[in-house]
Amino acid sequence: MTVPPDPGVSRRSFLKGSAVAGVATTGIAAVAPAAPAGPTTFGPGEHEIALQINGKERQVKVETRTTLLDALRDGLDLTGAKKVCDRGACGGCTVLVDGATVTSCMTLAMDAVGAEITTIESLSDGDAVHPLVQNFVHCDAMQCGFCTPGMVMSSLSCLQRRGKPTVAQMQQDLSGNLCRCGTYGRVMQAIQRTAQGGGK
Amino acid sequence: MKPFSYVVPKDLAEAAAAAAQPDTVLKGAGVDLVDRMKERLQTPAQVVNLLPLRRELAGVARTADGAVHIGALTTLTELEQHAELQDPALQALRQSAGMTATPHVRNRATVAGNILQFTRCWYVRSEAFHCLHGGRGPTCLAVTGENRYHAVLGWLDCVRVHPSNLAPPLLALGAEYTTTLAGKERRRALAELFPAEPRAQNPEHTLLPGEIVTALHVPKQPAGARSAYCESREKQTFDWATTACAVRVVLQGGKIAAADLVLGAVGPNPLPRPKAAAALVGEAPSAALFQKAAELAFAGANPLAHNDYKLTVGKAIVRQALDEATR
Repeated sequence: MTVPPDPGVSRRSFLKGSAVAGVATTGIAAVAPAAPAGPTTFGPGEHEIALQINGKERQVKVETRTTLLDALRDGLDLTGAKKVCDRGACGGCTVLVDGATVTSCMTLAMDAVGAEITTIESLSDGDAVHPLVQNFVHCDAMQCGFCTPGMVMSSLSCLQRRGKPTVAQMQQDLSGNLCRCGTYGRVMQAIQRTAQGGGK
Repeated sequence: MKPFSYVVPKDLAEAAAAAAQPDTVLKGAGVDLVDRMKERLQTPAQVVNLLPLRRELAGVARTADGAVHIGALTTLTELEQHAELQDPALQALRQSAGMTATPHVRNRATVAGNILQFTRCWYVRSEAFHCLHGGRGPTCLAVTGENRYHAVLGWLDCVRVHPSNLAPPLLALGAEYTTTLAGKERRRALAELFPAEPRAQNPEHTLLPGEIVTALHVPKQPAGARSAYCESREKQTFDWATTACAVRVVLQGGKIAAADLVLGAVGPNPLPRPKAAAALVGEAPSAALFQKAAELAFAGANPLAHNDYKLTVGKAIVRQALDEATR
């Protein structure tokens, strides 16, 4: 019989702890920056980079092949962005990079150095949530919830850029996010309600 | 993904020097490359990141001679929205940039990256298949296999289709491209970027190892020039074209004084169709004329077992593009 984890340990931290125990150290020391004359080379092993996330600088260890999504989820415990297809084909991993929506699974973490990254975690502070999130709840704009973080980020970008978006504009801005449950109509209601000042 | 070294150049010369090293690939946004590296279709020892060169290699500008200079690292979103392209002559370029993939992809994907994409053929993109184009087998598996998205025109021993949807409008507008290789800059017609004989052993482009595309140039369009780009897809968004057509016409006194017509997604290269374009010249726009041009555009087609729909749909797309350009 397996012993259940201590109630003080979250499901995620428990899984993470057991995973780490089973992983052998394969990292090779980062190559030191080359002489100033040539280009700077990183990797192939692990090294530390600084990412600007939700207004704060965060240090994270990555390999050159680490995607932004993996750096966020595995390196920084920002697990809001979801890893669904991992091929840029669903939008579950949508975050904002310099204010524009991107699929973080197809972006190397190294490519995001120096950019301002906004994740869904920026939309809540304890129990206080952004009006858009409140309106997702109010409009019941989710079913299984897997696409929701990406959907919220695309909705946020839509509102930031367009103010009061039309239906056609919302359709365009949400066209990179797949929802198998078919919540698009309610997502658009949530965007419109936010644009009208609801949810505050 | 196999581990690799990631090179951050400070300028184009450093990027070019690094690109000339063995087992090295160049990366813009990497939307296609990261995908292929995840699938282990490409396992370079070294990746040169060109994004730090955005300052010199991105952006759209009108030059003194009225041409439009498009930096290789310009994103599709920038291209779609740029003020210099709000011109009926360049409509095809905006339309094409605006319907590529998804907003998330367009926010990162670069113009050069779009044109230099690897084909989307599902045989070559899966290591499990012993395909000729992938260098893993003796024949093209799509010729006799599942080929509904494959070529109907201009194919030789490999029925892949060229996936770029920016290439057809750029070709129709007479674009040129500039590359740098070993310190030498070269400017050529865009058609030269694609292999003259798109055989299985040839890559999708003619770049030499270490050669970097730095810019595209769209020449000044004559008065009365109009362009349009249309494509058919299975989904309204988030999909590759099944057929595509870019046209540029010069309208004078109600007649078509000059025309260019390029098909996309139906052959291993983007395909200029000069006979179809020539049939339009000197004529007034009409449904019958567009039908004739559409038939000529697909003349000599050699469809496969599952893709003869591309002829019917493709001709409708040609008519639609002509209709939009002359409306």
